[in-house]
Amino acid sequence: MFEHEGLSKEFEFVTKESEIKHIGNSIQNTSLKMQTIAFALIQGDQDTVGELTKECLEEGISANEILDNGLLNGMSIVGVKFRDNIIFVPEVLISARAMKAGMAHIEPILSESGIEPQGKVLMGTVKGDLHDIGKNLCIMMLRGAGFTVYDLGVDTSPEDFADGFEEYQPDVIGMSALLTTTMPNMGRTIQYFEDIGLRDDVRLMVGGAPVTQEFADEMGADAYGESAVDAVEKAKELIVLLKDLRD
Amino acid sequence: MKTMTKKERVFNALNRQEVDRPPVANPTSVATVEMMDLVDAPFPEACRSAELNARLAATEITEFDFDAIAPYFSIIQESSAIGCDMQWEQKDNWPTVRMSNPIWQGSSDVKVPKDFLEHKDTKVIIDSIKILRKEFGNDIPIIGKTMGPWTLAYHVFGVEKFLLGTIDNPSETKLALEKLKEFTYLFGEAQIDAGADILTVPDHATGDLVSGQYYKTFLQELHTEMAENFKVPLILHICGRTVDRMPAISETGMHAFHFDSKNKPEEAMNAVQNKIALVGNINNPETLYSKNTIEVKKEVFDCLNAGVQIIAPECAIPLKTKSENLIAITEGVSDWLSEHNKN
Ligand code: B12
Ligand SMILES: [Zn+2]
Repeated sequence: MFEHEGLSKEFEFVTKESEIKHIGNSIQNTSLKMQTIAFALIQGDQDTVGELTKECLEEGISANEILDNGLLNGMSIVGVKFRDNIIFVPEVLISARAMKAGMAHIEPILSESGIEPQGKVLMGTVKGDLHDIGKNLCIMMLRGAGFTVYDLGVDTSPEDFADGFEEYQPDVIGMSALLTTTMPNMGRTIQYFEDIGLRDDVRLMVGGAPVTQEFADEMGADAYGESAVDAVEKAKELIVLLKDLRD
Repeated sequence: MKTMTKKERVFNALNRQEVDRPPVANPTSVATVEMMDLVDAPFPEACRSAELNARLAATEITEFDFDAIAPYFSIIQESSAIGCDMQWEQKDNWPTVRMSNPIWQGSSDVKVPKDFLEHKDTKVIIDSIKILRKEFGNDIPIIGKTMGPWTLAYHVFGVEKFLLGTIDNPSETKLALEKLKEFTYLFGEAQIDAGADILTVPDHATGDLVSGQYYKTFLQELHTEMAENFKVPLILHICGRTVDRMPAISETGMHAFHFDSKNKPEEAMNAVQNKIALVGNINNPETLYSKNTIEVKKEVFDCLNAGVQIIAPECAIPLKTKSENLIAITEGVSDWLSEHNKN
């Protein structure tokens, strides 16, 4: 399949037709070194990811290429394996840590080069709710996909979201809730944005285990995402929508 | 069959023996805002004062006619006594530990505070059990609750840090669990001394976070040991998807497993092969919280048809659950029985 044997084995966990095409094409013509980075990331081997990333940059490979062909290809497979219950949270956490080790070398270069990010996303777990594992995974995937993400942490009130909006001017706000008792706080936040006249300046997406598409619609959210992979898709869609709205 | 006392009924069910009617109970919590208002025992005070705690717990019998009382509503009483950073919240939300601010780094930090059992937040449960025992006598079973080491580890080390450690240094994880189980024993024994007939042991090694292999690697042995050492029946509670680990759970010698609606009653019964009783699994966030009594009864029927021994909500019920939906659980059992006896 690919030049890197381990990565080829990992790729066998990707079984959806569209994903085989998408991720497969993305890996197909990459160098062995990029494939080694992707593989090390899947293994959660932060030292190898960090070292190889640094080495590649020194050899003159661009930060973007390492991000797209190495780190992100690895992360796409991690996302799929997690969604399909092949791996679990600890395994995702070590891959996230490896991703960070690579990003530590890449981020300074990307921000210097002034390449426009995909967009800006503000994320937070709603008021009264301290569950943040899912939200953190979304943030990781969003950052991986090229978004600039600001994290308001947990227990975030409507006012905090509004303050965050003023400060960071995000295109999309993502709210996470894991409790039935705190889910209504998503609706309250949306209402608050209406009340202070900011509703049309931003797109709001929601997620978290108990949240459903119906519930999201009822609250007047702009999108619902059921997984971290989905969060990236929805954020992309919302940014297109917002651009149309602004034009 | 002659009518059993609630205690006989629950104990027979836990032992997978015949019952006059399948018992209804929630080994985690049935606290609701409606009940808090009714008996004037709101959160968080009802988690911190024995009198209010007992008053709210009693509604499980007086208002819903369930077959047991479970006075420990949350999962944080020990953690508060250990010294974790707490967020007590208000009437309509559960109290919780601020895990972003963990108190311990590793197994060498784990120490039982001298006043662990005298601390306000452990003592409240112990005293509440005494009050309930006195008030309800011996025919109504009281279910105590003592957190397992895995759940405590989330609280004292922080979830992400603890889970990362399971890969970086599994023997350190095992050591930490070994030391943390001390709390499980201390608090559990104290509740038995106070009059608890049964203990729930929540230990959230859930399929939403970790693989089934994790249960075998880190917990099966500890749970087996608990089943041997505690003198009362134990109900293990793990929410989320768990069928993959149910065969291992059924080997621990615990009396029962409280399972989540993410597992179908029938597949769960198949997984445990009658080696452990099952308690569950009416869906909380959708069915009990936002659907009606007809839907609740339908899920009760599904459980009974599959042979689930004790009918219960899947976990601590949402605080804003309507009473009629809880009453519908008991009624659902009656409906099922009369249908059953006709044939
Ligand atoms: C881990 C956990 C905890 C940890 C939280 C640690 C942490 N730092 O997050 C601890 C032990 C501290 C905890 C505490 C409590 N918990 Co808890 N917890 C869980 C558990 C087991 C797993 C949640 C999780 O992390 N899943 C893994 C992640 C990856 O999944 P996820 O969050 O759903 O996220 C994914 C998607 O939903 C999506 N997503 C998430 N957010 C967003 C946002 C956007 C914008 C988008 C697009 C997508 C998206 O992408 C993610 C990745 O794919 C669930 C059980 C369950 N089955 O879900 C209970 C559960 C959520 N907890 C529950 C309860 C009751 C509590 C407590 C109240 C217990 C208590 N009595 O103290 C406290 C409350 C604390 C508080 N105030 O928030 C209940 C909620 C019941 C209800 N219906 O309201 C659950 C459902 C258990 C149950 N079956 O009853 N909990
Ligand atoms: Zn639970």
